[in-house]
Amino acid sequence: MGDHVQQKPRDGTTSSHRSTPAATPPSSASSPLKKGTQQVELELRLLEAFAIYRPSLLAGMHRHFILFGLMHHLERRLNQRFSPDEVLQLLDRFFNLDLLEPDDEELELVNHKEDFSLPQSILEEIKRKKISS
Amino acid sequence: MGSSSDVLTDEAEDSGDENVDTGQFKEGEKVLAYHGPLIYDTKIQKAEFRKKEWKYFVHYLGWSKNWDEWVGADRLMKPTEENLEKQKKLFKNQTGDKLSKGRVPAGKQKSAAEKDESKTENKPSVGRGKKRKSDPVSEAKSPEEPDHALKIPLPGTLKRQLVEDWEFVTQMGKLVKLPRFPSVQDIFKKYTDFKTKRDGVVEDSLVEVLNGLRSYFDKSLPAMLLYPQERAQYASAVPHGSDISPSSIYGAEHLLRLFVKLSELLVYTNMEHEALTQLQHKLADFLKFLQRNQSNFFLTSYG
Repeated sequence: MGDHVQQKPRDGTTSSHRSTPAATPPSSASSPLKKGTQQVELELRLLEAFAIYRPSLLAGMHRHFILFGLMHHLERRLNQRFSPDEVLQLLDRFFNLDLLEPDDEELELVNHKEDFSLPQSILEEIKRKKISS
Repeated sequence: MGSSSDVLTDEAEDSGDENVDTGQFKEGEKVLAYHGPLIYDTKIQKAEFRKKEWKYFVHYLGWSKNWDEWVGADRLMKPTEENLEKQKKLFKNQTGDKLSKGRVPAGKQKSAAEKDESKTENKPSVGRGKKRKSDPVSEAKSPEEPDHALKIPLPGTLKRQLVEDWEFVTQMGKLVKLPRFPSVQDIFKKYTDFKTKRDGVVEDSLVEVLNGLRSYFDKSLPAMLLYPQERAQYASAVPHGSDISPSSIYGAEHLLRLFVKLSELLVYTNMEHEALTQLQHKLADFLKFLQRNQSNFFLTSYG
């Protein structure tokens, strides 16, 4: 799994077909120093994001919601939109995405078979309506 | 670090120790500990007297050692009946009826004497993601407010659909006929078509949400979305080792059940409040779509 730019998720889901503006570097008019600062900010925000959204979860069932969370986090803090692919590219700078494997937690969740049960509240609400109708 | 085992304070409560007085609790003792809004089972690894009080290094049973931490006696309680009741209550408030996060799956929660007892030690509870986020707050002496829960209100007609589904399967011994048309995958496709038609585009973030739902559906269907009466059918529809995805053969009836479990699953992602709110909007829109197409997507009677 896990090439970098054209990331093809293992689960066969489709990637977005709408491109968003790439994370553009500052214009050449700005000083080299400022360029460095923006870069640093980006990386800081990323590291901050990784403290919340565990990158290891990208290898499993939570992948898309992790990406969703990362996209949202970065957009909020950097005022800039990142596509899922762009986020993955950024991640790739810090992590070897190829080496990520599904968590133990996920394996346990998947193997632990629990019967579905409908929450009491829903049952009761509908039964009440039936009685009163 | 300097152990202060020689500073035995007379004020320390008699915990019935035979040897070293380590305050209210002793090493190796299993106690209940507050962490965030919930109470967990822990075991005291070490006890030290620091800055005029006893501190205990606890290990949360079922969690990785990374979570072991020093806590004061104010966060600990003996596992008396009364305190165990408290623990149960707090979990209950977070689980079941409302679609809240931080739920400990029923099978693991109590000393379910049966199957899971041996595994419990190694299984972190569902609240893990939540625990990460509330780390800075974990020094609180009393339980704080539960974190914002992702509530996904179901439209009334869909709730009714769930109850009918429950009646058919569990009360009348009926099953949906597989494969379903439209399948879960078909439904997602119809939704994106609808959004494209209406808005001209489908946002990246929405694509991720739908892919995420599909991923959850495929993984969680056998694990938590089936009534016991449906297990045999599943076993023959998705034979062991086959790569058939549940989302290609199951339909709206089971997709709806995913929404009951969704907030529980999302706990693992540790998603921020704002992102959850965004997500909520997107899910609500999708549910409205399901509702509008209810007669096309759902079976009115099962086989």
